[in-house]
Amino acid sequence: MANRAQIPTSNSALIAMIADEDSVVGFLLAGVGNVDLRRKSNYLLVDSKTTVKQIEDAFKDFTTREDIAIVLISQYVANMIRFLVDSYNKPVPAILEIPSKDHPYDPAQDSVLSRVKHLYSAESVASGRR
Amino acid sequence: MEEEKKEIDFEIGMKQNQELKLEEEPQQQQKQVGDEHVLRFLDSVDNYLTLFESLSCTLRQGWLELVSARHSMGASRVNSSLLDLKVHSASTSLQVTPDIVDSMEEQPHFILRKWGSLYDGKCSYEDQNSKVDGLQGKSGSPLPRHRGKPQLSEEISPKQAPLMVDDQVQKKRSRSLSVFGTLVSPQLRAAQLSFETALETLVEIANMRSTMLSTFNGVHKELGVAKEIR
Repeated sequence: MANRAQIPTSNSALIAMIADEDSVVGFLLAGVGNVDLRRKSNYLLVDSKTTVKQIEDAFKDFTTREDIAIVLISQYVANMIRFLVDSYNKPVPAILEIPSKDHPYDPAQDSVLSRVKHLYSAESVASGRR
Repeated sequence: MEEEKKEIDFEIGMKQNQELKLEEEPQQQQKQVGDEHVLRFLDSVDNYLTLFESLSCTLRQGWLELVSARHSMGASRVNSSLLDLKVHSASTSLQVTPDIVDSMEEQPHFILRKWGSLYDGKCSYEDQNSKVDGLQGKSGSPLPRHRGKPQLSEEISPKQAPLMVDDQVQKKRSRSLSVFGTLVSPQLRAAQLSFETALETLVEIANMRSTMLSTFNGVHKELGVAKEIR
């Protein structure tokens, strides 16, 4: 169970990104970019040439690294690896599905809300917010 | 005799009522705890969705500013091929600490360290290490140099420390922008601020997510206990 996992303490954990170009560039402007000595970065820029395998590998890599505390993933990219995202249940790193320019945020597809949806009406979330 | 019987019956009735109350108290307490979990869960879901609406607005603004910067500076000057692939550490990172909820389970609490300073969602304050270095001038860190005033470093007032921190933050911001050239358009600077705001919102969302999941687990346990009692 996720709530029984120990929470690691960290003073300088990273924010990883799996998103489109504009989102990645924007967040890198805000200073979250990191490239370590092995030339491994904390982001994957997704475009039309990025394969699902590359996205899966990046997701698995970011969710197993100990220096990453939050993984930002565009929701349309998360839909490509939905099974992997929905089966993830650790408290850290936290997976946050973010909107992109061409794909607005849809609460009905959010994996965290899907996990808790049977405690409230899914219709009230989708319709009441429009 | 009849009066004595009545008194005895009354005492027996009182004792039975007291026993019933003692049995009901833990159930009422349990119900109150369960109601509290449900309310906290519903609040956290509402806050989570509200924060996502705010994030969407902020990101839309940031994308628009980025597109404007690309239009004014040229597409070749604002694109991902210019991203810094040299070894460098993130200027903006996170502090993660365990937060004990209901004295039972832990949930992570995230604090944003924007440009090396801590931001807890209400105010930003400098990193403790940089504050100590700035004020006391530890032997391991270089002191600010002032020509003709060698004693000035010993006389830095507490009011000047935030200014020094602001200078450091501005330097880090400029370094991040310098990837796209020395002279950048104001829209690119505006985009940088918008994405910084988006980061603050994302950290709040991450904390709300933790609260939502822990309260959900609490409600789930309550439902499980209620089913066992039946």
